Amino acid sequence: MANVNEGAVSKRVPILDGLLSGSLSDPDNLTLAGCKCTSCGETALGSKTICPNCGCDTVKNISLSERGVLWSFTVVRHRPPGNYRGPEPFVPFGLGLVELPEGLRVLSPIKCDIEKLKIGLGLQFRPYVRKDPDGREVVAFAFEPVNEGGAHV
Amino acid sequence: MSDVVILGAGMHPFGRFDKTYEELGAQAAAEALRDAGVEWRQIQGAYLSRMYLPATSGARILRRLGSTDISVVDIEAACASGGAALRQAVLAVRSGEIDLAMVLGCEKMPRGFMDPSMIYSPWQIELGMSLNPAYWSMRAMRHMYEYGTTELQIAKVAYKNHRNSVHNPYAMYRKEFSLDEIVNSPLVCDPIRRLEICAPDDGAAAVVIASEKRARQLGVKGKAINIAASCHTIARYSADFRCPADSMSATANNPGPTEVTAKQAYERAGIAPKDIDCFEVQDTDAFCEIEIYESLGLCALGEGGRLVEEGSTEINGPMPVNMSGGLISKGEPVGASHLGQVVEIISQLRGTAGPRQVAGAKVGLAHVLGAGGNCAVTILQS
Repeated sequence: MANVNEGAVSKRVPILDGLLSGSLSDPDNLTLAGCKCTSCGETALGSKTICPNCGCDTVKNISLSERGVLWSFTVVRHRPPGNYRGPEPFVPFGLGLVELPEGLRVLSPIKCDIEKLKIGLGLQFRPYVRKDPDGREVVAFAFEPVNEGGAHV
Repeated sequence: MSDVVILGAGMHPFGRFDKTYEELGAQAAAEALRDAGVEWRQIQGAYLSRMYLPATSGARILRRLGSTDISVVDIEAACASGGAALRQAVLAVRSGEIDLAMVLGCEKMPRGFMDPSMIYSPWQIELGMSLNPAYWSMRAMRHMYEYGTTELQIAKVAYKNHRNSVHNPYAMYRKEFSLDEIVNSPLVCDPIRRLEICAPDDGAAAVVIASEKRARQLGVKGKAINIAASCHTIARYSADFRCPADSMSATANNPGPTEVTAKQAYERAGIAPKDIDCFEVQDTDAFCEIEIYESLGLCALGEGGRLVEEGSTEINGPMPVNMSGGLISKGEPVGASHLGQVVEIISQLRGTAGPRQVAGAKVGLAHVLGAGGNCAVTILQS
């Protein structure tokens, strides 16, 4: 399972096209993708060709910072409706807005003890590979507290 | 600009019923016609607001009142659907092309959390971002952090609205809960609890509107209610963090949808918030009502919690809000909710609201806000 051969890599897909920046074969070095508009200066989530603020096509696709700060959060206490792909059986989890230095706040699951969730908490981007029953490998993401894990230095 | 007035209103209670949506809608529509003293065949255009019903629902419901060849259209703008439909009818009457129209809101919804595929992308659902209350809760959490708003102040909104609903025969839950019961009800998404959120349900509400001239010809001008403003907008860039957003700007500083829509409505009506005697607003969750006090201009930013705590928004307070019990106790049949608010304001202005009556109410405002930052504000004057 640990060996990533060519076939496995070709079946690997991002959870959404345009949301991640970097090579899917090296998930540890992925970041969130963003776009910065040279006309209005706004930075938005995901690579885009049109600025979602001013509508100009003067956008530059960028990689977003891996580190941010928890701006607000909640604890989801009930299993979300539909095709939720979190741990089974369901466990309550943190969901928060992570403010990144590029000037945007990104909604993300927050991987940590729910008791530790606190506005201002330092967070780190944590991409991961999810194996789906249909054989696909889906690259998804969460944020986790800077001090936990610590693989990214 | 010629005035547009409401001649009559009708409502089917909000709740869960063993009836088809056609039955619910037709009952409210027929009641509105009776109340207006107008025959269905006199209506020249009809607008149905709905979100969960199938295509051509308006035509299917209204055919029950008799065959017709008028324009009947379905309108959807999430939680603001009713306001968007009313606005289209007002514009049509104001244009002079028609002078008598029906606006009907109707919905029949499954129990529990709303179907996420209506507004969320598959990846958001997979990551667990498809719970609407999560978005409301994150705004509440930030408000508490920035302004010191407390869980008890949030609970006070639910306490007030549940208590008001006891006297509303159109509400789904008509039960008073103690503050203790509310703050001890299970958390749905921190800090929002079970007894502090609204549930989807079934219901219908309708109004018959006319040009002022037509109302005069019909001899009913005296009892007509003036539509002083009927506005609908969607949120400007990143001006509102509401489902189904995946991010928001930390630098854009646009005013929120309620602020923008209310400002438009106040200008059209030529009045200020202090001139309004009663309000029905979107209490999808109890915190949302606190936020709306601030964005409607009932108090300064950050003062919403204090406003409910000191009782200012009680029926006998200086600025009564959600006399009907709000969506927290009526439930939210999405397409019908705004027309339901309008029906409540009409009974307030007619002085027929019984124990919910705001003494001497002459001006009322109805507000809805939902997915996509859809916001509608209607101001009525007796």
